[in-house]
Amino acid sequence: MTTEVNFAVTESEADGTPVLAVQGEVDVSTAPELRERLLALAEAGRTVAVVDLSEVSFVDSTALGVLVSGVKRLRSSGGDLRLVVTQPRISKVFEITGLDDVFRIFASAEEAVQA
Amino acid sequence: MTDASWAVLGDEAIHERDRVELSLPARPELLFLVRMTAAAVASRADFGYDQIEDLRLAIDELALTICGDEPQAGRLQLLFKWSEDAIEVVGVYEADSGESRPELVLAQPANELSARILDALVDEHGADAVGGCPRAWLRMRRRKGSRA
Repeated sequence: MTTEVNFAVTESEADGTPVLAVQGEVDVSTAPELRERLLALAEAGRTVAVVDLSEVSFVDSTALGVLVSGVKRLRSSGGDLRLVVTQPRISKVFEITGLDDVFRIFASAEEAVQA
Repeated sequence: MTDASWAVLGDEAIHERDRVELSLPARPELLFLVRMTAAAVASRADFGYDQIEDLRLAIDELALTICGDEPQAGRLQLLFKWSEDAIEVVGVYEADSGESRPELVLAQPANELSARILDALVDEHGADAVGGCPRAWLRMRRRKGSRA
């Protein structure tokens, strides 16, 4: 038996910057895949990346922890992890945890890439 | 699960009829079932959209408090109760026979972020251990004007 999970990560590149577009619910079950994708970018020598959460409907503390680990890793290499957040529900989670002061958050992937 | 395991948030205002019990394997990939149940209960209790979404996130964090982020051999037992004014949830980890889980005997929010989320979204929450198993609970009161 398999459990269908509403989650996907699609990687693309814009102006030389990797963009991870995440869809669905990012929780304790799915966050490890996002962690692996971010780790793979860092190991490939990428120092700047964008995670597009505009198609994400749910994040929990596990997902936030993965993103915090990712931004720490990239910033320690002189880079950054930029986020795209458009859903009010997701914005709220960043606000109540204070992480809106930690991440650079943009309204579109284009803005995040050009920043 | 004994009645004593649920006896955390005693509130006579909540009618015993309005209660739902959910029991499932304590595995991360099944956590969505807990969120679905929370949303259904909040909807049934006529809570508004924002509070339903808040409860979905809070119950997720409550489950992480009890079970951690790794698959466990035991089961997660949840009791949902609601009234005109509030929704209460108590969750208990029921260990598999012979399972020893000393690392989670003193349950606490999974991490600092989890604690901040629970502090912000619910009116009361807490965690302890009952019979050596982690237990956590929360209460969310209806906000003014929060009706579906």
